[in-house]
Amino acid sequence: MAAAPLLELRGVSLAFGGLKVVSGLDLHVAEGEVVSVIGPNGAGKTTLFNLITGIYEPDEGDILLNERSIVGLEPHQINRLGVARTFQTLRLFLNMSVRENVMAAAYGGTKAGVLRSMLRTPGMRREEQEIRRQAEEHLSFFGERLKGYRWDQPAYSLSYANRRRLEIARAMATGPKILLLDEPAAGMNPVETHEISELIARLRSEAGYTILVIEHDMHVVEGISDRVVALDHGIKIVEGTFEKVATDPRVVEAYLGTKAAVTK
Amino acid sequence: MSQPEDLQEPSGPAIGQDEWVARHGERRSRRSGWIGDIEERARRAPWWAWLVLFVAAFALLPLVSHDGYVRRVAFETALYMTLALGLNIVVGWGGLLDLGYVAFYAIGAYGYAMLSSPQFGIHLPTVVTVPLMVVVGAIAGFLVGLPSRRLIGDYLAIVTLFFLQITQTVLVNGDQIAGHDLTGGANGIINVDPFHLFGHDIAVQHEGVFAVAYLYIAIAFFAVVYVALHFLNDSRTGRAWRSLREDALAAEAMGMPVNLLKLMAFSFGAATAAFTGTLFAAVQTSVFPLTFSFALVITVYTMVILGGQGSLAGVAVGAIVVNVMLEFLRDPGDARILIYVVGVLALAFAFGRTRKLAVLLAAVVIFGFVAHAVAEAINPDWVAGPAANGFDQALSNWVIIPTELANWVGPVSYIGLVCLALALTLMSPGWRYVVLVPTIYLGTFVWENVLLAQPDATRYIVLGVMLIGLMILRPNGLLGERRVEIV
Amino acid sequence: MDTFTQLTLNGLTEGSTYALIALGYTLVYGVLKLLNFAHGDVFMVGSFIGYGILKVLGGAGDPQVPVWLLLTLMVLGGMVGCAVLGVAIERFAYRPLRDAPRIAPLISALGVSFFLANSFQLMFGAQQYNYGIFFLDGGSLYTEGFNIGNVHIPLIAIITILSAFALMVALWLLVKRTRTGKAMRATSFDREAAAMMGIDIDRVIVFTFIIGSALAGAGGVMFALRVPTAASIGFVIGLKGFTAAVIGGIGSIPGAMAGGLILGFAEAYIAGYWTTRWSDLVIFSVLILFMLFRPSGLLGQAGIKKV
Repeated sequence: MAAAPLLELRGVSLAFGGLKVVSGLDLHVAEGEVVSVIGPNGAGKTTLFNLITGIYEPDEGDILLNERSIVGLEPHQINRLGVARTFQTLRLFLNMSVRENVMAAAYGGTKAGVLRSMLRTPGMRREEQEIRRQAEEHLSFFGERLKGYRWDQPAYSLSYANRRRLEIARAMATGPKILLLDEPAAGMNPVETHEISELIARLRSEAGYTILVIEHDMHVVEGISDRVVALDHGIKIVEGTFEKVATDPRVVEAYLGTKAAVTK
Repeated sequence: MSQPEDLQEPSGPAIGQDEWVARHGERRSRRSGWIGDIEERARRAPWWAWLVLFVAAFALLPLVSHDGYVRRVAFETALYMTLALGLNIVVGWGGLLDLGYVAFYAIGAYGYAMLSSPQFGIHLPTVVTVPLMVVVGAIAGFLVGLPSRRLIGDYLAIVTLFFLQITQTVLVNGDQIAGHDLTGGANGIINVDPFHLFGHDIAVQHEGVFAVAYLYIAIAFFAVVYVALHFLNDSRTGRAWRSLREDALAAEAMGMPVNLLKLMAFSFGAATAAFTGTLFAAVQTSVFPLTFSFALVITVYTMVILGGQGSLAGVAVGAIVVNVMLEFLRDPGDARILIYVVGVLALAFAFGRTRKLAVLLAAVVIFGFVAHAVAEAINPDWVAGPAANGFDQALSNWVIIPTELANWVGPVSYIGLVCLALALTLMSPGWRYVVLVPTIYLGTFVWENVLLAQPDATRYIVLGVMLIGLMILRPNGLLGERRVEIV
Repeated sequence: MDTFTQLTLNGLTEGSTYALIALGYTLVYGVLKLLNFAHGDVFMVGSFIGYGILKVLGGAGDPQVPVWLLLTLMVLGGMVGCAVLGVAIERFAYRPLRDAPRIAPLISALGVSFFLANSFQLMFGAQQYNYGIFFLDGGSLYTEGFNIGNVHIPLIAIITILSAFALMVALWLLVKRTRTGKAMRATSFDREAAAMMGIDIDRVIVFTFIIGSALAGAGGVMFALRVPTAASIGFVIGLKGFTAAVIGGIGSIPGAMAGGLILGFAEAYIAGYWTTRWSDLVIFSVLILFMLFRPSGLLGQAGIKKV
């Protein structure tokens, strides 16, 4: 690994009041990698995403994107630099159409100002068409699931699985280098879970994204990850291939308790 | 639980079948009958259809009516429509509760007045003043919006309201700022110039009647703003505003600079209000601080919410409905008949064309006559109140209108009506039906004897009740889309 | 020095009234996360109820009952009446919107405020109503009193301040020492969790409104003892009460008390040393500064946002 990692966290710590949510976390993701973050609830995984995307600011440590510190930047600035995410609890623009959700996310990469928009200049209209075309392209990535006629429907009319796909499409529209997927398979049945695994693989192989995934479903983690990072109580306990991490007694203990770790 | 590999992928979505299922939601939300047809037609109409409708209606009005009063009301309505468009940006698109909106209206009006009147001896040409005030308004909106970055919902509302208070205080006391008379104080600024366009001063009165020119200017203002805002809404900025309203955090995470967008919403709303303010000042030929009050804020808000926040055509319709209603309520004579018509229509809407409605109306009428007869028997003075014209005389045989009202009757009957009305919402449908009869009668009594005596208070009571009712029963208003919210 | 002490006394008197209103705001905000815009108008209704009781019992100059009983009845009447009003407002204007987006109950509150103010104008006109001068043992309440040094403390001031403080202490004990108080605090932290712990949220909210509105009612009566009341006073008083609550820290009871007093003092000093013309402006500007730089007020806690 000669090149510097795309994303790097060095000694990041964050506390809320007296509660240490993340402590001395070191993490790196190389370009083109798919890294999974696992850990029991409360381990600090979503907080990790919030730190990277600028919603929280770390008390200590540094976060680097392409070797440039992004600590203290506004979330939309961090997004412009190449970090896009989905949300654990789904945060779509429900009353906007499917297509509009994706088009909206193209804001940062476009530049038609208010004056040109109000006057509807040819340049602005060209840009609008381009935004629309790209949005449809992103949506087409999901094949038959998010088909044409769905694009005009309001987002709230989508099924749960489709909503998750839409959120990913929306994240893609911001033109990122790295995708942070927060529990993309949550609440899905086995067929859908399988599709998600395939989708993540395609996101890397076809679309070239670097991906950092939080996931609980070990089938998914096993199927997609180059590397797995296990967190517990805000501390990284183990890092490595899936086999190494899954069988590590510290990980077992974190999930199942000491007795399970010992008897395993 | 079988393994994923065992399950057969369906051979592909069944075209026509899946789509039919997917569109089920749309079909269900359609209302049946002719209302549904109209709504469907309205939804599919091109965006400019409404605008053409408005412009045509206002343009043709002077041909239909030569009454100066009617033209004046039409002018004011057009002003309100434009104001409502501006507020729609901040509230409907940005989701920001700006209670100080009217302060920007004041800034536009006072700015124009200060630059086109004897106050400072400056008489700038209209084509300079109006765009200048638009820019000033935009800057003011930007500055006021700056605190909004840190504030959410309730707090933002209060801060903007404080801004309105500060503006009013400055305007009222502005005749003594460091020894200078800047704003004319409580007496305002008078002798404001009319608009000067194409080399002519446009007089406000033409042959003793309100000048049609200003009506056309007002609707032109409206149309310009309407078109500009529609295009803006259909652009990346509009999408960003709507995303901000849906979920500000997600919008920020998707690269939209939420704080800047909020400022822009404030700015545009303020600029629109200031724009409208200049025209207001020119036609009024004077500006007074007390015009720009909280009551005006509530009025514009009712227009926006009734019409449907987020919909340009909607808020314009809301403005028309509310302003016309307020005009009717200004004069007891016109308002009287109106309330009965509205009341019957409301009941018809609620009950449908069923036997229940007929029985209810019959019961109310009979109840009324009985009560009237009883009251007359006890004391003739109780029903001998004044009646102006034919309809009123017929009515006065039904409603109890005393010659004189003892002090306590008004408050007691009013409070009684309010309590009854609230109690109605708690009853079971059966009881509700029965109690509705005396409630309606009491309502007419209160209307005739209490509410009509004070049209000012009555107008605002109606607005207040409308706001509460709209929020509870139909928050999306007339033309707004029904929204799905996750709280 | 005399002026200063006199002004301080004024500030204390006004401030204790503001504290009562601020408490109502803080309590409701704590439990519902809603700024009850109509609160100032409830205050106004309280003053009118006091007036009504006063008139029924003969008026200030020649009452049918002893003065102390008269005043007590007026305050109690105001408290009870406003408590009922508060419950009605919550039940009909806010409860249906409890799960609606934040903007909805706010707008409903605006509607209620407007409705109350204009309803009272409808019923009683826009003019001012003066309680009149009360007499105690031959001396007017407004002139009789104690002298500390060169400063004259009228009885009315003593009554106002002591009653307000008594009510606040009672509230403090209620919230800190009783189960209901604990339920209120739990609900204000996390409504869903409180519900899951078996707390009847509806009851807690109704109770909160009862207390908050009763305090406003008491404040209204005490206010009108010194200043004539009218149907339109609710708006400005509401703004000031809100200012006090925010300065002290919205959601914090001692904060509301402190904020009320601070506001009272600020108004008194500015009016005394400068001019009443601009006192409102200064106060509003101070509030805006607070909200920008210290939105949690003096004693409130900064909130933690969970994504």
